[in-house]
Amino acid sequence: VKVLVVYSHPLETSLAAAARDRVMKGLADGGHDAHLIDLYAEGFDPLLSREEHANHLAPPSTKPDDVLRHAELLAWCEALVFVYPTWWSGQPAMLKGWFDRVIIHGVAWDLPPNTNRITPLLRNVRRIVAVTSHGSKKWVNALEGEGGKRVLSRTLRLLCHPLTRTTWLSIYDIDNATEKSCTRHLDRVERRMRTLGKWR
Amino acid sequence: VKVLVVHAHPNPDSFNAALFRRAVESLTAEGHDVVAVDLYAIGFRPEMSAEERARYETDDPVVDPQVAEQIEHIRTAEAMVFVYPSWWSSLPAVLKGWLERTMVPGVGFILDTRTRKVRPALTQVRHIVGIATYGSPLIYLKVVNDNGRRVLSRALRLSTGPRTKCTWLSLPSIDTSTLEKRTAFLDKVDSTMRGLR
Repeated sequence: VKVLVVYSHPLETSLAAAARDRVMKGLADGGHDAHLIDLYAEGFDPLLSREEHANHLAPPSTKPDDVLRHAELLAWCEALVFVYPTWWSGQPAMLKGWFDRVIIHGVAWDLPPNTNRITPLLRNVRRIVAVTSHGSKKWVNALEGEGGKRVLSRTLRLLCHPLTRTTWLSIYDIDNATEKSCTRHLDRVERRMRTLGKWR
Repeated sequence: VKVLVVHAHPNPDSFNAALFRRAVESLTAEGHDVVAVDLYAIGFRPEMSAEERARYETDDPVVDPQVAEQIEHIRTAEAMVFVYPSWWSSLPAVLKGWLERTMVPGVGFILDTRTRKVRPALTQVRHIVGIATYGSPLIYLKVVNDNGRRVLSRALRLSTGPRTKCTWLSLPSIDTSTLEKRTAFLDKVDSTMRGLR
């Protein structure tokens, strides 16, 4: 499976960085064709500029270079894997900015004239996987509504293939996590990545 | 009432910016003590830097003077008003980043070192108001969930306490909205702001 991994964390010492390494290892062991986008490392600008907003309905070829490069990878991949920490019950601003700037008109969706209903363009994507961590307990996140989870499992999925499956691999209550529970989480991540397929 | 109004839209000529200006005008006319923050105008950076993340759990988590200034506003605010366009059924990156970078331990919440539990630190905030515009129709919002609203009305409200009132003004289907609808929405923003206590 062709996999695009999008990773967002500023520190190399983080659990997210460890998860990213295990994701890449699992994908390599499983014989998958994986490409990694490290948003902080490549200095991605998460701020949607005034020009980009004003021209958001313009054809994709007129977009900035970094957006074009990521858009090409989006059109290539069959699976999307997001590795990030959950902050304020959602994706970090860096990753949210990647959504704002890259998942755009002409790349991910099309808006036929005189309607407000979009048509999906990411038909090549069959799998969405989130690898994340929450500082607070699961019930607190349930109360908060799991905004980040819905953004991936609903908003993004509506732009993909109609049979796209989503997988949520998360560790909760990280503030009080032990080394054992972190290892268990990372092992599970690697195992799931190795066996990643259209249906599993 | 001391009100902090936070706005995130790249274009000052947009309808969203008009909503922001109207909200600030109405609040000022009512005699409220208003601090208006236009995140794009002040050039606020959305992403948390490596240094900020590394110092997050320490006693001195603030690196950027711009963030320190925002924290001053947050500490005194008795009401918070957010004016933003919903992108990806969620907050624009710069507003999400504003939450992440300013609401550090000691400002948004207190992490009790002994019990390892999180306590709210913004208990002086009595009211959260969201003013949001959406490209998609209401039915789509119901299906995917209004995640931006949940971040502010639930995740942020856990830091202000359960007694904080939350008011939400939303204008869906903005791409096909009529002038009358938009004018009516501006009036609604005006009356809500005037009624803020």
